[in-house]
Amino acid sequence: MANPLSLPMSRRALRNLVARPATRRYPAEVRPRFPGARGQVVFDPSTCVFCNLCARRCPAAAIECSREERSFALDQMRCITCGVCVEVCNKHSLSMSPEPRPAHAVHDASVGGGRPRRQEWRLAERPAAGAGSGA
Amino acid sequence: MKRTIVPLGPQHPVLPEPLVLDLVLEDERVVDAVPTIGYIHRGLEAMVEKVEYTEMGFVAERICGICSFMHGMGFCASIEDIMGVEVPERARWLRLVWAELSRIQSHLLWLGLGSDAFGFENLFMHCWRMREEILDIFEATTGGRIIFSVNRIGGVKRDIADSELAGIAERLRALGERFAEIARVFRADPSIHHRLAGVGVLPAGEALAAGAVGPMARASGLATDTRLLGTHGYDRLDFEPVVEAGGDCLARVLVRLREVEQSIDLIRQLVDRMPKGDGQPIETRVRGLPDGETFMRLEQPRGEVVYYLKANGTKYLERFRARTPTFANIPAMISLVRGHDLADVPNIILTIDPCISCTER
Repeated sequence: MANPLSLPMSRRALRNLVARPATRRYPAEVRPRFPGARGQVVFDPSTCVFCNLCARRCPAAAIECSREERSFALDQMRCITCGVCVEVCNKHSLSMSPEPRPAHAVHDASVGGGRPRRQEWRLAERPAAGAGSGA
Repeated sequence: MKRTIVPLGPQHPVLPEPLVLDLVLEDERVVDAVPTIGYIHRGLEAMVEKVEYTEMGFVAERICGICSFMHGMGFCASIEDIMGVEVPERARWLRLVWAELSRIQSHLLWLGLGSDAFGFENLFMHCWRMREEILDIFEATTGGRIIFSVNRIGGVKRDIADSELAGIAERLRALGERFAEIARVFRADPSIHHRLAGVGVLPAGEALAAGAVGPMARASGLATDTRLLGTHGYDRLDFEPVVEAGGDCLARVLVRLREVEQSIDLIRQLVDRMPKGDGQPIETRVRGLPDGETFMRLEQPRGEVVYYLKANGTKYLERFRARTPTFANIPAMISLVRGHDLADVPNIILTIDPCISCTER
């Protein structure tokens, strides 16, 4: 029988008794996000021209965009946060936020069966300059 | 003697993946093992017919959560080979940094799982605590912890600033010191030796005959390492393959321990020798459609992976095939479990570091 104090793990185990825990008291203490983390895609409707480029390039088909209806829909549950849409957007309407998608959306989608994280924007009225030119 | 068949899997205590082995037992002794694969087949290779080649990289890196970077890199490098694309120098070096980081995190994950399997939970937590630091480096540099999405055909998406690279090398140096303490436990603890030494011995000749690859082959004394081919930029680094002569479960643990130390050294070399200066090109714009076929070999943490791609001049590839290291190691694993006690089977299975997601795709 080996002497327990001469075992290679003993010193580490004794130090662990007085060391701080390696884990956090989550959710009370949340780790700050890394600035470049790919958390979720954020859409800014004020600059979008509905060119449809993002929807065509999205590998997961998570974006639906219509120039005629001036509508944009992003399905956060389908999105794989690859960042392709953010790169192709000429108007910088799409950006990548380091904040992850809220966990309850995942729960709702798996338990509820629906698509609660589908965000929709519909900009019905055209800008004033475009509306006046046809009259 | 009466034979009993014990089905191991698809749900079993060894690892969370659906490995299936029908163990034929005589008393407690395994006389044969019949593997069944296909429980986690997702048809990812067939998706090339429906997913454009530019987007297929995202699918390729989802073959497996541990080797995700290498799968993405292998796919992109294959397309670059077909199309004759010259990848910028900086991108080549960055890919190697991430590839070696992947190897460290994969081996740390495995060392943890291995410790858990032979009943050393304390060690398991220490290994995974160190792995967490590697995942933090991944998140800071690529934006993801498991799925990185930084590879693209023609280069990489993100650059790492020189100051950040120096910081990574410094963090890895500190991690190496802490790892040395844990490695000493693996090397010297009598309970680990009692459990692993002399168990599941794979002689060099048998490893060669069964086509074993990666740490499995190197633990049996075969100096095979695809990185020695010098492709993907490995020719600019100084390293020797990690070889152990034992061929038993302990030798396979020791190979992975030394490979973690080797990868930390390789990243230090990469950071030292990389062409300095921020703002260098990291991507070549790719135009046109691929036409032709290629074979591509890479050394993943688990061993050699081979990709075969065939393109036909359209935006959809004709064929994508990946021969993953676990698939190559399964025949050797089956020969290993024969003749051993049922209680040794989990250790033998784990020391080949099976990745069933890779194997079945």
